[in-house]
Amino acid sequence: MSLRARPYEDVWGPRRARIIAGVLGVLFTVVVGRAGYVAFNGPEQSAQAATASVERRADIVDRKGELLATSLAAWSLAADPRAIWDAGEVAQDIAKVLPGINVKDLTTRLSDRERQFVWIQRGLTPRQKQAVFDLGLEGLRFEEETRRVYPRGPLAGHFLGFTNVDGKGVEGAEAAFDARLKRGGEPVRLTLDANVQFALEDELEKAFVDFDMKGGAGIVLDAQTGAIRAIASWPQIDPNRPGDRTELAKPNRAINYLFELGSIYKPLTVAAAMEAGVLRTTDTFDVSEPLKIGAAMVRDPHKLENAKMATAADILAFSSNIGAVEIARRLGSEKQKAFLGQVGLLDRPTYDGPQAAAPLTPSEWDELTSATVSYGHGLAVSPLAFAMTYAPFANGGNYLSPVFLEPVDPAKIEKRQVMSASTARAVTDMMRQTVLVGTGMNAEAPGYEVAGKTGTAEKPGPDGYDPDRNITSFAAVFPASRPQFVVLVVLDEAEPRTGDARTAAYTAASIAGRVIARAAPLLDVKPVLDTSTAETPPSLRVTSDERTL
Amino acid sequence: MKRLAIIGGLVVAALAVAVYRAKLGAEDTESRIATLQAEAKKVSEEISVLKAEEAYLTRPERIGPIARERLGLQPASPDQFTAPEALQRRLGEERLTLPATEAEKPAETPNR
Repeated sequence: MSLRARPYEDVWGPRRARIIAGVLGVLFTVVVGRAGYVAFNGPEQSAQAATASVERRADIVDRKGELLATSLAAWSLAADPRAIWDAGEVAQDIAKVLPGINVKDLTTRLSDRERQFVWIQRGLTPRQKQAVFDLGLEGLRFEEETRRVYPRGPLAGHFLGFTNVDGKGVEGAEAAFDARLKRGGEPVRLTLDANVQFALEDELEKAFVDFDMKGGAGIVLDAQTGAIRAIASWPQIDPNRPGDRTELAKPNRAINYLFELGSIYKPLTVAAAMEAGVLRTTDTFDVSEPLKIGAAMVRDPHKLENAKMATAADILAFSSNIGAVEIARRLGSEKQKAFLGQVGLLDRPTYDGPQAAAPLTPSEWDELTSATVSYGHGLAVSPLAFAMTYAPFANGGNYLSPVFLEPVDPAKIEKRQVMSASTARAVTDMMRQTVLVGTGMNAEAPGYEVAGKTGTAEKPGPDGYDPDRNITSFAAVFPASRPQFVVLVVLDEAEPRTGDARTAAYTAASIAGRVIARAAPLLDVKPVLDTSTAETPPSLRVTSDERTL
Repeated sequence: MKRLAIIGGLVVAALAVAVYRAKLGAEDTESRIATLQAEAKKVSEEISVLKAEEAYLTRPERIGPIARERLGLQPASPDQFTAPEALQRRLGEERLTLPATEAEKPAETPNR
């Protein structure tokens, strides 16, 4: 029977059923497949949600979680010039609520009909946004952004740095940790302690009441880990308003400035000589006469009472330049240079954080250079780099790199033994005597056994060193019997308003003492109740309480 | 065969309805997620603002004078610390200067 002769149902019935079953089968497979995919993979995350989570820059907090920098929602005002009928009128109206606007410039930009987008002002506060909104002007729109805010104002301003309008870190920690901050998420926890930072900055601020000065810097660091607990530069800056910085306030004097720091180098000279085996605590030197080195004369501004038999402790206590040179001569320039290299003074320090300036080192290391470097002239370093050189005195002789980020893992701290524990102990004892009976008396903080050294260096000028412009400094470890922390204070051209001498004994030493008295309880340093360390060791002869350099 | 086609059709229709409902449900859930995310973002921003305000209001230069003037607080001085072994002696000294406690006071005689 031909196909045509067969009944319709017989021919098309089974085929139709197969086609329908096939189509239904495909649909069924698609539906079941999709349902299975959704069931096992969950809903697709919207792209908007994904981008929202990476937009917010991470906060910066101190070691205890105190907020130092955060990002808050803000709005930026933009315009489409093609949608604006009268650019001049719009610009004038905007200027009424945003007084910083340059009407002429804005009118020009809003008149450019070839542009579709013009920024008017970034980072508006909610109040400013509402004020612009209430104007009801055409062609304007608000773009939601984030604005970096430093709620503690100038606290740690130099160290924190700031971001530009696009939220990119351009100075300080904001720049150094920019990649990490941009990723958002958990706050970046610094080793700084906001309260210690405040104490340091407050004392630098108060120093200006006592001294007429050009600038200052201070550092407090944990000598066991290298963690920086406070780092300040005066005059302060407010990172909320970086544009308001004065020229004097711009540089970070703690990190980016180079100073010849003077006699605070002398403990390093003594330590290097003891470590080289050319100096013992009982050795004596005749420092009664000036020393002639080439064409230069090295003198002591104030003669020591026992100048013919001065020990290393006397040389530090009364800051004898002649004595330091005599010790450096025993040491030799090569060993002196090697030691200064070991404590990180001849290269730019490497660490994770805002980078310190590279030191200015002598081109030749001859006898005269060796002599001047022994008492802190001729080698310019940043205060941060120098502060790290005192950590070995406090931790049994290990040089550490500065650490700015918590958590500090003691197992990962890189240490370099630069002196023996006995040398570190001996020099610390000498510095303690410097505070008890020598030039550092004004640095004493009762109960906290300050062991430190004063430094007064003339600033170099176009015609050589200028005796009227000094850098005064005080570097210390405390408490002397079980040192935990290092403090360094540097004052730029500090001149006591009382008319006292422009030396560190009357300037930086007293500021350092006040900083230690305030910072020690905040750092959980228990005061030393036993005052037996105040006894004078046999190697030290007390001359007077006259404070010299 | 016809029955099979009808049953298949009904299954597909039921599945279509189920998928449609699931789609609506998913849209609804997505909308709720978006709302909650927006709410979470808003709350997160509010928390950020509050944290910033807290940090601003607890600046040491603000808190210090308030603690001194209103609460009479000041930083601990080194002479306020003592060694544990000296506590016994210190407690003895302080007992002489402190007012007597209730237990140590002589019993009052009621007025009659």
